[in-house]
Amino acid sequence: MDSHNIAFVILAVIVSCMSIMTVATKSIMRSATYLFFTLLGTAGLYFLLGYTFLGAVQIMVYAGGIIVLYVFAILLTRGVKDKLSENSVAKIVSAGLLSLVGLGVFLFLFMTYQFKAQVLTAPTESILSMDTIGTALLSADEKGYLLPFEVVSLLLLACIVGGLVIARKR
Amino acid sequence: MFDFSIVTQWIHSFLLTTLGLPEWLTILTESVLVALVIITLYAIFAIVLIYMERKVCAAFQCRLGPNRVGKWGLLQVFSDVFKMLQKEIIKMRNSDRFLHDLAPYFMVAASMITFACLPWNKGAHMLDFNIGIFFILAISSVSVVGILLAGWGSNSKYPLIGAMRSGAQIISYELSIGLTMLTVVAMTGTMQISEIVEQQYEEGWNLFRGHIPAIIAFIIYLIAGNAECNRGPFDLPEGESELTAGYHTEYSGMHFGYFYLAEYLNLFITAGIATTVFLGGWSPLHIPSFDGFNHIMDMVPGAVWFIGKTMFVVFLLMWERWSFPRLRIDQILTLEWKYLMPISLVNLLLMATLVAFGLHF
Amino acid sequence: MSNHQENSYFGGLFSGIKSLAIGLYTTMRELFVKKITQEYPENRAELKMFDRFRGSLIMPHNENNEHKCISCHLCEKACPNDTIKVIDEVIEVDGKKKKILGVYEYNLGKCMFCMLCTQACPQDAIEFDQSFENAVFDRNVLNMRLNAEGSKCVERKPAPKPAPAKPVTAQSETTATPAPATATANEVKSESPTPEPVVTPKSETSADKEN
Repeated sequence: MDSHNIAFVILAVIVSCMSIMTVATKSIMRSATYLFFTLLGTAGLYFLLGYTFLGAVQIMVYAGGIIVLYVFAILLTRGVKDKLSENSVAKIVSAGLLSLVGLGVFLFLFMTYQFKAQVLTAPTESILSMDTIGTALLSADEKGYLLPFEVVSLLLLACIVGGLVIARKR
Repeated sequence: MFDFSIVTQWIHSFLLTTLGLPEWLTILTESVLVALVIITLYAIFAIVLIYMERKVCAAFQCRLGPNRVGKWGLLQVFSDVFKMLQKEIIKMRNSDRFLHDLAPYFMVAASMITFACLPWNKGAHMLDFNIGIFFILAISSVSVVGILLAGWGSNSKYPLIGAMRSGAQIISYELSIGLTMLTVVAMTGTMQISEIVEQQYEEGWNLFRGHIPAIIAFIIYLIAGNAECNRGPFDLPEGESELTAGYHTEYSGMHFGYFYLAEYLNLFITAGIATTVFLGGWSPLHIPSFDGFNHIMDMVPGAVWFIGKTMFVVFLLMWERWSFPRLRIDQILTLEWKYLMPISLVNLLLMATLVAFGLHF
Repeated sequence: MSNHQENSYFGGLFSGIKSLAIGLYTTMRELFVKKITQEYPENRAELKMFDRFRGSLIMPHNENNEHKCISCHLCEKACPNDTIKVIDEVIEVDGKKKKILGVYEYNLGKCMFCMLCTQACPQDAIEFDQSFENAVFDRNVLNMRLNAEGSKCVERKPAPKPAPAKPVTAQSETTATPAPATATANEVKSESPTPEPVVTPKSETSADKEN
C-alpha cells in the first residue's frame, strides 16, 4: 500500500460518490456541479497513471468545455424552476431495467477480466512524451490516427455549419 | 545559477532516510509543506499586488494613491484584509447556498493550482508536467465554472448577467491565449515549463529568439490575458455602472475576499506565464558576446529575475487596464473573433514557417 | 478618405492600433507628471483654492468700511433657497427718505453655491471667496451677517475715483446710528486694508472651535 494506492482509493471514492450524487440530486445545476467533480476525479486518475496529457485534456474539454456548455445551456433555457420533471411509474421501471442491464454487463466484464496487478505501481517518469502523441495523431502509417483526426475535424466543421444555419437570420 | 533542487532533494532525503518515514508519509509531508509555501506566497503576492495596483492606478490618474495608513500607505492593504476578515458572510434566503458558498473556492483553487506551475527558480517548480503550458490552460478554465456557479448560486439578476458575460468572454479569449502559447511551443518544441525556461537560459529569451511573431504573440497575450482576468478594458462582467459588481455582487466578507484574491493572483499568474514563456522565466538577461556583463547578470538569483520580470509584465497589464475605457460585450467579441484570433492564427503560421526554415535565433 | 480607410478591415485594424498607442502614450506621460493631489491637513498653511472655487458668500468692504450694496433685494429674490435676507433701514438724507442696507443676513447652511445672487447683483457687492473650511459644530454659527458693523454703502454719485473727499462728510453725518464705540477687535481687523478684509463671525467662531 504505497501513496499511489492511497491516492487511487481517495479518487475512486470521490468519483463514485459524485457520480451517484449527480443522478440523485433534484437540482439540475447541482447535478452539473457534481458531474464536474466526477470529471475532475477522472482526470486525477489519469494523472495518477502518469498520462498527464489525457488528464489535462479531460480537464480542458470536459471540465472547461462541456460543463461550461451545460451550465450555459441551463442558464439560458431554464428560469427559477430548475427542478427536474416528476417521475412516472413507467419511467422508473424502464430506468431500473436499463440500470440492471448495465450493471449486469459491467459485472460480467469485471468478473471475467484478468486483472494484471493487484495494486497499482507508480508510473515511470515521462511515460509518453508530447512528441509521441503528436506524431501518432498526425501520421498516416499503420499506427497513426490521421484518418480519425480528420474525420473529427470534418465533424466539427459540420457542427459549425449547422450552428450557422440555425443562427442565421431568415 | 543556484539550483534550488538541491534544497528539495535534501528535504526529501532528510524525511525519508534521516527520519525514516514511510514513502507515503514523506510525500504527504512534502505536499503539505509545498501547499503551505503556495498559500503563503499567494497571500504575500496578493497584498503586494493590491498595493501596487492602487499606487500604479493612482499614478496613471495623476493622484498619489493610499498614503494615510502607515508610511506611504503601506498598511492600507493589511487594514483592508482585516476589515474583510471581520465581516459577516451574508446568507440569502432563496439562493442555492451550497453552490453559492462553493463558487469562491473554485476560483481560489483554480488560481492556486495555476500559481503552483510557475517556475520560481532553477529547480524550484512545484508542478512540472511534460505538458506544463497545456495544463495551465486547462486548469485556468476551471475558474469559469466558479464564475458561472457564483452567478447562478446568488439567485439575483446582476450576478447572473455578469456570469454570462464573463463566461462568454473567458471562453472566447482562451482561444487567443491557447494560440499564442502554441506559437511559442512551435518554436521551443516542448511544453514542459522547466525545459522552456532552461532553453531560454541557454539560447536567449523567446521574445528575442522568435522576433516578429513572438512579439506579436506577446502583445496578443497581454490583451487576452487582461480579458482572461476580467480586468482592464474587459471588466464588463463586473461592470459597476450597470451590474453593481457583476458575479460577486451578492458576496460579502471573506467569500468576496476570495474573489478579490483570485482576481489579483490571476493577474500575477498571467504575468508569470508571460514571463515564463516570452521573457525567459528565471533566466537572467544575457547579451551574446558580452561575457563580463552576462557573468554579472548570473550573480542575481533566479527568483529575483522571475519576480522582477513578472512585476514588469504586471505593470504593463496595469498600464493597459488604466488607459482604456471599458468595452461593450459586442466589441469584446468582435475584438476576439474578428481580430485577435485570425491574427494569432496567421501568426502561428508565420512562426511555423520561421521554425521550418530555421529563421529564428 | 480616412473614413473609408477606417471602415475597411485592415484600415480599421491599423487605425485602431494607432489610437490605442496614442492612449497608452498619454497615460504613460501622465505617470511622470507632478501629481495634483493636495495632502490637505499637512499643507493647510499654503493651500490656496483656485479662483473660481465657491467657498462662502462675502461682501467685500473697502478700507473705509464701505460696501457696495444698495439694498436692492435682487439677490434675495434670485436665491432659490431663501439663503439671503436683506433687512433695510430707512434714513433721511437732505430731507429725503433713503433706503440703505441695515443687516445683510446669509445662511451658509442653506446655500447651494449656485452663484445666482452674485450674478443678479447690479453693483457686484457680493461675491464668493475661496474659504473651504466651512464646517462648524453649531448650526447657528452658519447664520452670518455679511455687512460689517457700522459699515455703509460707498457713495458713488460723482464717479468712483474722487469718492474719498465727499463720503467723509456723509459718513460723519450718518454714522450716528450704529454706535462706533462698540467697535470690537473683529471690526478693527475688517477695517485693515488687506485684500480679503472681511472676517465674518463664522470664520472667527470656527477658528475658535478648532482651537
